[in-house]
Amino acid sequence: MEPIIEIKSLSKTFGEGQNQVEALRDVSLGINPGEIFGIIGLSGAGKSTLVRCINLLEKPTQGAVLFHGRDLMGLKEKHLRLERRKISMIFQSFNLLEQRNCLDNICFPMELAGIPRKQAREKAMELLHTVGLPDKAKAYPVQLSGGQKQRIAIARALASDPEVLLCDEATSALDPKTTDSILKLLKTINRERGITIIIITHQMSVIEQICNRVAILDAGAVAEIGAVEDVFRNPQSRAGRRLVSPAMPLPVDESIPMARIAFNGNASSDPIIASLTLDLGVKVSIMGADTRNVDGKAFGTMLISLPEAEEKKTEILRYLNAFDGVTAEEV
Amino acid sequence: MTETITALLESWGVNKAAEQVSFLFDPVNIPFAIWETLYAPLCATLFAYLIGLPLGILLVTGEEGGIRPLPKSLMGLINTIINLLRSVPFLILMVLVFPLSRLILGTSIGTTATIIPLTVAAAPYVARLVEGSLREIDRGVVEAAQSMGCSTLQIVTKVMLPECKPSLISGATNATITILGYGAMAGSIGGGGLGSIALMRGHGRGQTVVMYVAVILLVILVQIIQSIGTRLCVKTDKRITHK
Ligand SMILES: Nc1ncnc2c1ncn2[C@@H]1O[C@H](COP(=O)(O)OP(=O)(O)OP(=O)(O)O)[C@@H](O)[C@H]1O
Ligand SMILES: [Mg+2]
Repeated sequence: MEPIIEIKSLSKTFGEGQNQVEALRDVSLGINPGEIFGIIGLSGAGKSTLVRCINLLEKPTQGAVLFHGRDLMGLKEKHLRLERRKISMIFQSFNLLEQRNCLDNICFPMELAGIPRKQAREKAMELLHTVGLPDKAKAYPVQLSGGQKQRIAIARALASDPEVLLCDEATSALDPKTTDSILKLLKTINRERGITIIIITHQMSVIEQICNRVAILDAGAVAEIGAVEDVFRNPQSRAGRRLVSPAMPLPVDESIPMARIAFNGNASSDPIIASLTLDLGVKVSIMGADTRNVDGKAFGTMLISLPEAEEKKTEILRYLNAFDGVTAEEV
Repeated sequence: MTETITALLESWGVNKAAEQVSFLFDPVNIPFAIWETLYAPLCATLFAYLIGLPLGILLVTGEEGGIRPLPKSLMGLINTIINLLRSVPFLILMVLVFPLSRLILGTSIGTTATIIPLTVAAAPYVARLVEGSLREIDRGVVEAAQSMGCSTLQIVTKVMLPECKPSLISGATNATITILGYGAMAGSIGGGGLGSIALMRGHGRGQTVVMYVAVILLVILVQIIQSIGTRLCVKTDKRITHK
């Protein structure tokens, strides 16, 4: 499958001399059509810069951005503007036009495209229904809650019939429940309209909830990239492990042998640790855990202590690895 | 009626009461002065916006990191000219601009002639006011517009100006009132209007009552302009919900 967006050895450097910041270093990514792709990283990792490079709001210092195989950097300003209509964007701060009501906000991209006013209004009304706010047509942004503003922003983003939707921390300003409903909406849009979605976030929960694939950005470089499940089950990079189990203290006391258990979402609801102690007659203590339940499946990691004896360790690891959706390794 | 007032003023010891009262109650003098007071500054405000609005937009869009950066040297030149014009005291500027008035209007005296120096003095001020208003806009909103494929012109006309409308209106109110003040000053050297009356008759000829009446009328004019401006500003601002 040919990627809809391909980022090729992209670098971005801000400033000069002493103040120089290398925000992105040799980033390469391919986004497949129809997928929901997550980009996660700690604050300052360069996520926003990366997503802004995709529609060239930020001009990369080096590298290329291909949209349908075509280099966007090679386009004339006018053609770039036309391409941008196919790549919509939503933001953490919503960025609605505050002096326009919701309906007119949604009409804005259609106004730019020269769509007749009446037709634009009809479509805007439909989109208001899509995002579940048909009664807010005449309301002004100031009268809306954060979640409602983001819904309007999503409707506005959809108005130009985009092929790609870029979301830069679109849920970071919202409470967990509202975040959840916005993510559900994005998922529906992805499924029903086949729009490719790229989500930037620093919340692992957002990634696990709706993304198919994820790239972990660490200090401007891609630390790892893969299917969400794989990255969750077994993060390869240090940045990955930090993000997957941020609450987990790294073993400070090197002398205690420990095992890391990863749940990849296929584990049954068996009480694994309880069975372990009962079946093998060993006592282990949980050193740290960061697991969560997604759609009734366990995701996350757990750190347990192991006995000193080598054969006991192997026995425990073998026992744990026999469970579906569970991987255990000594760390 | 005029006699009663004249008698009253004389009983207070006011000089030349009859002369002052007849001036004030003349059906033409005061209304004409009000007209003159308003006419030149309002025209000047209009012209100042014709020059200052595009300049103010340029100051914001053309700066480094703006939506359409212009050469640094050009921006530096514009900024310097604006600062220069703004730092020359108005009365001196007015004298300096006399030749220009003569060139354009054929005369350098009279109310109409003051429109030229008023415009020259107000345009850079208006440019700074507009610049200030446009800077209030959230960068994110401009960025969102760019991400939707807005051209520079569309960002200015469809995003920046409409989003900053309330602030622009309040700036325009300020500008009008300031130019009105300059206009009153201009009255003293060749213009007409209430300012000129207050100075020439009140100060010059000791007609204190006329002076106070002229000043009070100026105050009332300013109040009226301010309240119209404020009302318009509040009315257009959709960020204010409780009206
Ligand atoms: N316009 C700019 N000028 C200079 N440096 C910048 C600019 N924009 C970003 N940076 C720098 O680039 C780096 C990456 O910033 P970026 O905003 O992409 O991070 P982020 O991953 O989005 O962080 P956050 O999660 O806090 O939003 C930071 O070190 C930042 O200081
Ligand atoms: Mg960011």
